[in-house]
Amino acid sequence: MNWVLALPEIVLSLVAMVILIFGVLRQDDSFFLSSMFALGGFLLAALLVLTTGSGIGYHGQFVADAFSSLVKILILAGAGLSLILSLDYNRHNHIARFEFPVLMLLSVTGMMVMASASNLMTLYLGLELQSLGLYVLAAFARDDLRSSEAGLKYFVLSALASGLLLYGVSLVYGFSGTMDFAALARTLTIPQSASPGLIVGIVFVLVGLAFKISAVPFHMWTPDVYEGAPTPVTAFFSTAPKVAAFALLLRTMATPFGHQLIAWQTLIIIVSVASMILGALAAIGQSNIKRLMAYSSIGHMGYALIGLAVGTPEGVRGVLIYLIVYVFMSAGTFACIIAMQRRGRPLELITDLNGLSATDPALALAMAIFMFSMAGVPPLAGFFGKLYVFLAAVQGGLWTLAVIGVLTSVVGSYYYLRIVKLMYFDAPEEPFDPRPTALSFVAGATGLFTAFFFVFPAPFVGAAQAAAKVLFG
Amino acid sequence: MIANIAFYVCSIILLASAALVVSSRNPVHSVLFLILSFFNAAVLFLIAGAEFLALILVIVYVGAVAVLFLFVVMMLDIDFAELRSGFQRYLPVGATVGAVLFVELVFVLGGWEFAPQAPVLRFSPAPANVSNTAALGRLLYTDYIFLFQAAGILLLVAMIGAIVLTLRDRKTSRHQSIRAQTDRTVAETLELVTVTVGAGVKEIGILRPKPVDPEPVEEVHHGN
Amino acid sequence: MQSFFYDTYIGLLILTFAEALALLVPLLIGVAYLTYAERKVLAAIQLRKGPNVVGPFGLLQPFADALKMIMKETIIPAGANRLLFLMAPMLTFSLAMIAWAVIPVNAGWAIADINVGILYLFAISSLGVYGIIIAGWASNSKYAFLGALRSAAQMVSYEVSMGFVLVSVLLCVGSLNLTDIVLAQHRVWFCLPLFPMFIVFFVSALAETNRSPFDLPEGESEIVAGFFVEYSAMAFALFFLGEYANMILMSGMTTILFLGGWLGPFGILPQLGPLWFILKVCFCLFVFLWVRATFPRYRYDQLMRLGWKVFLPLSLLWLTLTAAALMVFGWLPNA
Repeated sequence: MNWVLALPEIVLSLVAMVILIFGVLRQDDSFFLSSMFALGGFLLAALLVLTTGSGIGYHGQFVADAFSSLVKILILAGAGLSLILSLDYNRHNHIARFEFPVLMLLSVTGMMVMASASNLMTLYLGLELQSLGLYVLAAFARDDLRSSEAGLKYFVLSALASGLLLYGVSLVYGFSGTMDFAALARTLTIPQSASPGLIVGIVFVLVGLAFKISAVPFHMWTPDVYEGAPTPVTAFFSTAPKVAAFALLLRTMATPFGHQLIAWQTLIIIVSVASMILGALAAIGQSNIKRLMAYSSIGHMGYALIGLAVGTPEGVRGVLIYLIVYVFMSAGTFACIIAMQRRGRPLELITDLNGLSATDPALALAMAIFMFSMAGVPPLAGFFGKLYVFLAAVQGGLWTLAVIGVLTSVVGSYYYLRIVKLMYFDAPEEPFDPRPTALSFVAGATGLFTAFFFVFPAPFVGAAQAAAKVLFG
Repeated sequence: MIANIAFYVCSIILLASAALVVSSRNPVHSVLFLILSFFNAAVLFLIAGAEFLALILVIVYVGAVAVLFLFVVMMLDIDFAELRSGFQRYLPVGATVGAVLFVELVFVLGGWEFAPQAPVLRFSPAPANVSNTAALGRLLYTDYIFLFQAAGILLLVAMIGAIVLTLRDRKTSRHQSIRAQTDRTVAETLELVTVTVGAGVKEIGILRPKPVDPEPVEEVHHGN
Repeated sequence: MQSFFYDTYIGLLILTFAEALALLVPLLIGVAYLTYAERKVLAAIQLRKGPNVVGPFGLLQPFADALKMIMKETIIPAGANRLLFLMAPMLTFSLAMIAWAVIPVNAGWAIADINVGILYLFAISSLGVYGIIIAGWASNSKYAFLGALRSAAQMVSYEVSMGFVLVSVLLCVGSLNLTDIVLAQHRVWFCLPLFPMFIVFFVSALAETNRSPFDLPEGESEIVAGFFVEYSAMAFALFFLGEYANMILMSGMTTILFLGGWLGPFGILPQLGPLWFILKVCFCLFVFLWVRATFPRYRYDQLMRLGWKVFLPLSLLWLTLTAAALMVFGWLPNA
């Protein structure tokens, strides 16, 4: 048995357990050290992802290929950036406990399992491992009512979604007799062979996964959880789990159910359109920047879903590029949001950004870059993300979808640009507290990435291309 | 024949007690009916020849999970009237949703058709000449080792989560220090006095334990 | 004749019934005399005489007690849940009885020699908590309820380490069948190689049966008599009998798992199988009584600490060690 395939996951969970023992035995403050260990674990896992070969292991339950490698690197990057963001925030807000990196590590392990799932059972276990960690992380500031509420809300709704997913899995298993992706793909080669029960099963699986990427109409939890959770956790929510869930959605829809495209394509189109419209319209009225980011993420998921709806390797390539761009953009934005502090108190209102360009030009510039990029202004990274997705849609003949996408991004750019306007043209207020170096680092690095993506898109596009090819191979 | 009779009797009791779980007025009775239905499910497993699963069901669900359920339900002060107040109001909605789901299920099951490859693709046909305990063990620890370990980590996360969210060190609670207790000597704790015959409290004075310096309450933090 | 007993349903029914009677009647007499033995042993340890009035050496004392119990009135407290209140003692008593169905007293002398015997025993012993918790709740009394809660937490806690002990025994045997477990000890009884587990098991057995020093569910001094404070007459007697039957059951389990069941020491006198079994059970029972006379009651937090912070890690560690040793030295059964 080729157990080496899962080496990154094994290493991550071992690191988590070591930190756990270390943290329990060491009575005094161990948050910083644990976080550093965890970051080291992420790095090590990323190295292992790059070096371990590809193949199918564990009796077909686990697959490592170009797709899973790309997604895992992306997950690790998102998680690492969020963990760096949490270093100072957690200390200021009295939630600097060593369990934080441990939960993050184990949750990331779950996400990596999701990226490598090639069996419906692996899919479910990875998803649950990820979610359980996320519930606790959302409620991590347990003395804060909003945080506890966020955790509880996420838990209840997510449990419902998991139930639906499981129901779908059981239907699929019942009607096809297998849970293995490859075997499912073989069984379902002929689109006509699918019975209605199987289609219902696929729909339920789709619903469960759509909940995890917070696509409309399964998005209800997103704004509340984004707002209530501690901000670094929100940053984590908006990067790694999104990528993992999207990867799972891509693999599940493309590999086992790929031949059933006609059965689920319409559904994805509807979900995608609804997400784009809601993301664009509902964000306009928001005054809390974390809620705004929540609606923004719903919109972004809508754009990314276009690529899946096309159902071609080009579409999947577009989705992957979109996710790469989105992770860095989003992490950078949250770095800026965490920097919004006055006299040690975190701020969350959009109006708190008034006149930032006068008091902190560097932060304002970074924020402006992220906002322009999210709006899709060329030549920033966000533009390329959208470009590849729309391109695939046009090639795939889904003209309407591409047109709706362009229209909603025009509407959406209103609120992104409004933030830029507030920062540059409104009267300045009291300056923010000095930024910790970690925040500047994250904001700077992701800002550079976002701004200069157009210079070197080739390796990313190449990786995405290779990954997409595997899925349809 | 006896197996058939047992099957029907147990199934009927199982269904009836399952219905009573949701419909009985007293939550403690609900839990007890739940236990009864677990039991009958275990018997059904036995009839199917899966004795390991049957006993594990009893040990895990009846012996541990349901005890904790019962524990919690007995401790909770539930206002049954309030709990049921919404029943009438939501009944139509609930019934409609239920009916729709039921119709869908009938629709789906009506078109039940196994994929032609299904029997071949069946993961683990029951092995011959091996007791089902051994067969299960073999499957679980070889073919499904990855899932088994993943499930283990899942439970670990649940445990960490429960501890993170609920464990608080109360500053007022006093912990037992076994070391301090065993290190005590007679000289520290006992004072021997010679009491003359007939002397009362008035003469000797009331003896109290030696005043001990109150230990400084240490602030024990978990992690932070 | 043989075909009647073995091949027809009626015959099988009669046979099973007869077997059950042959086991249960001596068992019940054993329970009765265990109460007598307890009083005698405690008396001896405390330099008293113990019961010595009814019959020669007080030998008829248990029957006098039983008669007294039967004559008294069963009182059901106001506000109690009648059905559950009466069901609880019956449950406790019958659970203590049905567990004996799988205990092999000699090679092949078990009513049901099932494949998963040890799991069956574990399942039945984990059900014992229901009798107590239902009694505590149905009595509608604070003391009874407190006792029930204590015992539920206690029994569930000690079951965990008990489970690990069982697993390490199973590792050495390679079967869940009780007869196989005994036969696997023909060279050396498991109490020697698995000595720490033997101790953990026996102490957990004390806790499972709510015997001192873990008799907090009764705790006369704080909660009067715990979960059976409201019981009287036969209902009380059933609890009482159930507790002693459970003691015998746990001693039987210890005997089978660690003391070689019906096997004589060094294989001497194999024809005396049942006698060896009874002797070993009696020894375990004596230790039960000895412990009661010697140790003061644990405080509740100490009890929990012992279960979760001492026994659980210890049994887990020893389980790992056992597994490693079996693996390294190639002693795995059925390998």
